[in-house]
Amino acid sequence: MNRRMLRYVDWALVAATLGLLVGGGVILFSATRTFPDPWVFVKARVLHAALGLGVLVVFTAVDYQALGRLWRPLWVVTVALLATVDVIGRTAQGAQRWIPLGPLSFQPSELAKLLLVITLAKHLDGHRELTTLRQLVPVLVHAAIPILLIIQQPDMGTSMVVAAILAAMLFAAGTPLRWMGGLTAAGLAAAPFLWGALHDYQRRRLLVFLDPSLDPLGAGYALIQSKIAVGSGQLFGKGFLQGTQNLLHFIPEQHTDFIFTVIGEELGFAGALVMLALFAVWLWRAGAAAMQAKDRLGTLMAVGILTMIAFHLFINVGMTVGLAPVTGIPLPFISHGGSALLAMLAGTGLLLNIGMRRKKILF
Amino acid sequence: MRTDYLPPLRRLRILNAIIVALMGVLVGRLWQLQVLQGGQYLRLSEENRIRDYTITAPRGVIYDRKGRPLVSNRPSFTVAILPLELTRPEVVLPRLAAVLGMPVEEIRSRIEAARKRPFEPVRIRRDVGASVVARIEENRLDLPGVIILAEPVRHYLYGEMGAHLFGYLGEISEEELSQRRDQGYRLGDLIGKAGVERVYESVLRGVDGRLRMEVDALGRPLRVLQEIPALPGRPVILTVDLDLQKAAFEGLRASGQRSGAVVAMDPRNGEILAMESLPSYDPNLFAIGISAAQWRRLTSDPLRPMLSRAIGAAFEPGSVFKIVTATAALEEGIVSRTSTFYAPGFYRLGRWVFRDLRAWGTVNFIQGIQHSINVVFYTLGFRLGGETLAAYARKMGLGERTGVDLTGEVTGTIPSPSTKLQLVGEPWYPGDAVNMSIGQGAVTVTPLQVARMMAAVANGGTLLQPHVLLQAQDADRQPRPAPVVVQARGLYSPRTLAVLHEGLRAAVERGTGQASNLKHVAIAGKTGSAENPRGKPHAWFAGFGPLGAPRLVVVAFIEHGFRGGLTAAPIARRVLEAAFPTPEPEAQETPR
Repeated sequence: MNRRMLRYVDWALVAATLGLLVGGGVILFSATRTFPDPWVFVKARVLHAALGLGVLVVFTAVDYQALGRLWRPLWVVTVALLATVDVIGRTAQGAQRWIPLGPLSFQPSELAKLLLVITLAKHLDGHRELTTLRQLVPVLVHAAIPILLIIQQPDMGTSMVVAAILAAMLFAAGTPLRWMGGLTAAGLAAAPFLWGALHDYQRRRLLVFLDPSLDPLGAGYALIQSKIAVGSGQLFGKGFLQGTQNLLHFIPEQHTDFIFTVIGEELGFAGALVMLALFAVWLWRAGAAAMQAKDRLGTLMAVGILTMIAFHLFINVGMTVGLAPVTGIPLPFISHGGSALLAMLAGTGLLLNIGMRRKKILF
Repeated sequence: MRTDYLPPLRRLRILNAIIVALMGVLVGRLWQLQVLQGGQYLRLSEENRIRDYTITAPRGVIYDRKGRPLVSNRPSFTVAILPLELTRPEVVLPRLAAVLGMPVEEIRSRIEAARKRPFEPVRIRRDVGASVVARIEENRLDLPGVIILAEPVRHYLYGEMGAHLFGYLGEISEEELSQRRDQGYRLGDLIGKAGVERVYESVLRGVDGRLRMEVDALGRPLRVLQEIPALPGRPVILTVDLDLQKAAFEGLRASGQRSGAVVAMDPRNGEILAMESLPSYDPNLFAIGISAAQWRRLTSDPLRPMLSRAIGAAFEPGSVFKIVTATAALEEGIVSRTSTFYAPGFYRLGRWVFRDLRAWGTVNFIQGIQHSINVVFYTLGFRLGGETLAAYARKMGLGERTGVDLTGEVTGTIPSPSTKLQLVGEPWYPGDAVNMSIGQGAVTVTPLQVARMMAAVANGGTLLQPHVLLQAQDADRQPRPAPVVVQARGLYSPRTLAVLHEGLRAAVERGTGQASNLKHVAIAGKTGSAENPRGKPHAWFAGFGPLGAPRLVVVAFIEHGFRGGLTAAPIARRVLEAAFPTPEPEAQETPR
């Protein structure tokens, strides 16, 4: 890294990221203000953000090609982390997603998403084009093992994210469309088996997504209440710190998965548009990084990171407004949760990394 | 390094397009939710956080004529369920049932009954103890949808005493609700079902207040948004005198009899000073919602404790009816105070023989009243005839409702030759007039009718409508005394009255009614022992005093009490003693 590269830093991406981070912190303050210790989440956010910005700098500085070369050990680390969760992870919300780390705990599946973007990108980069099954099958196995481990936790949301990342990266890597179609068909065919493997609460969530009135006081409760919260914000919201759905705890998980309801309720349609605009800038710059990357590895990594953030955004916001089933997927940069924030900021760092190395450096 | 890399631009643009499309979907959905349907969701969020609680207004206090409370209210806690917030009935209801110690089914059926109005709290149990309140408050998080309401509970200070007079409360029925919805009644409200509670419902009922609270997702109240205080019901002052009521109650209890009634009335204005019926019930049971088992016990009791025997049932009057015969004979001029009769112990009419207690020989009319000599009245009755007797009985207020301001009053029966077939389904026989002259046959009256008749005898011939209300407040809370309603005037000539008074005084002083005699006050009265087809004769005593300036009429009635002079007169005496306390200090009743 040198001074010339700094000229190619994508400041719009940095600004959008910082905007989401700071705005998200403010929203998190509103969401947790009535908690027994109102400052504990804001303090954690500051700590996570500081740590995350450090990680961002590291992921920007290190050449992504060097990272890519480490793809085999990184994959082993990913699988090992996920397997560890299954073995020693402690139970949270009926699911094993955490590894205790002294006073902290971290969620390997959040990190796994980013690591898989890196390893898949390098793996796919090894093949000029994916025209034979001998090339495709190892890639599928590469992704399937972590996905199965994540399903095992069980974490449907994250496994869906990884599946989406895989699909987007296969697409970008030039996988023939008939194979893409075949994989989609296979995925649909597997759906009934997957349904059988689901926990009861997961099936309920999917059913109430289709019809919340099936169980208005149980599984449908969160969905109904979150729609009420977002809808009642109307055009300009009830005002910061004025959301009754938020302050009176009608929304479960209002500081994590359902934090968008606080934006919708307190800042209204206008506030939601501002947030979506920041994400739009972020996604636009990520798309630009993918297009301007100097090599295939950069493009594929950028596509993976772009897909990760976009999928999180659509599933999370979609969930609060009844467009997507309730799954435990955080809103990037805004929801409480250190592991996810670190992974998102590291991903942003990688995008900056790819972007500023887009031009051949002339000595 | 060569720059020969060409990114897959086509596919990247497709990915971009997908993202733009999804972004568009989100914006569209948010527009729909927040802008198009925003108002509707805002209302839902308001309904979420706002709870309206009813502050139950206390009912008006019922006082006796001297301002002593008879029926008041005491604070209590009611356990209720908000059906919409009962998220997990299968868990919460058994828990609540365990705390309340009542079957789950009963709770379920109460909730089920209120299904039509899910926004109103369903009262599960009224008047729970402090320990139940504490247990529910402690386990609030485990009992979502269960709330505690602070509500006044009706308190009948004297329990069974005066129960038939005061009446009782019950939860408003669907029918009453549909009739009174515009008056602000709601499901689960208590409403007067009988007695004063029902007749003066509109006075006694207060206006419920409202407490608008902000609650959190668990239904915990956080702050008061608006409070409209409850307006207590207006008080009612009854004509009842607590001391006389107590004397009547205790007199009936002490008699050892199973059923009967006492009525005490002021002959000058128709004010009822005491009205008691035996057996009785505790209206406090109804104040907190009577249980099915208690209700069954009360209604299946063959003695019918909820029936007021003072107004709600008619009985054969027996010799008390001789006052009617005597009055008719005096008014019709077929007898005077000096008329003599030969009373051999029986009266023969064709092939029928009417019996007397014993042979009296030759007696005058006063002695006839004094000893209640049947033959004297047989003779007069036969001469008067059935139509005349029945006309006098009606004129004196028998066989028709008195119009008292209470519920459940019956008419009784005064048969006559022209109406007997219609009234009792049998033809009129010539002997019926003879039988009727001593209050037998198909004649039935209520104790209150007898009291009204006696009052007209005492006060010089004015038939007054008996009433229990002394004073109430109008809508502006200004006191309104109840009017004295004169139903008929100048019923009897002074000469008739003089003979009646003399005869009735003689009966108490040295005749059948001696058990009611007081040393210091001149009491006049008549006993009765009325044969009836259901058992031993009914015992009656109807009297008034003091002679000359009567202030009190007492009627004591004991169902199957055998002899009026033995069982009814002593009960009347207790009431008379309470009304006219003995002047000697040592003989005065000590307060208990």
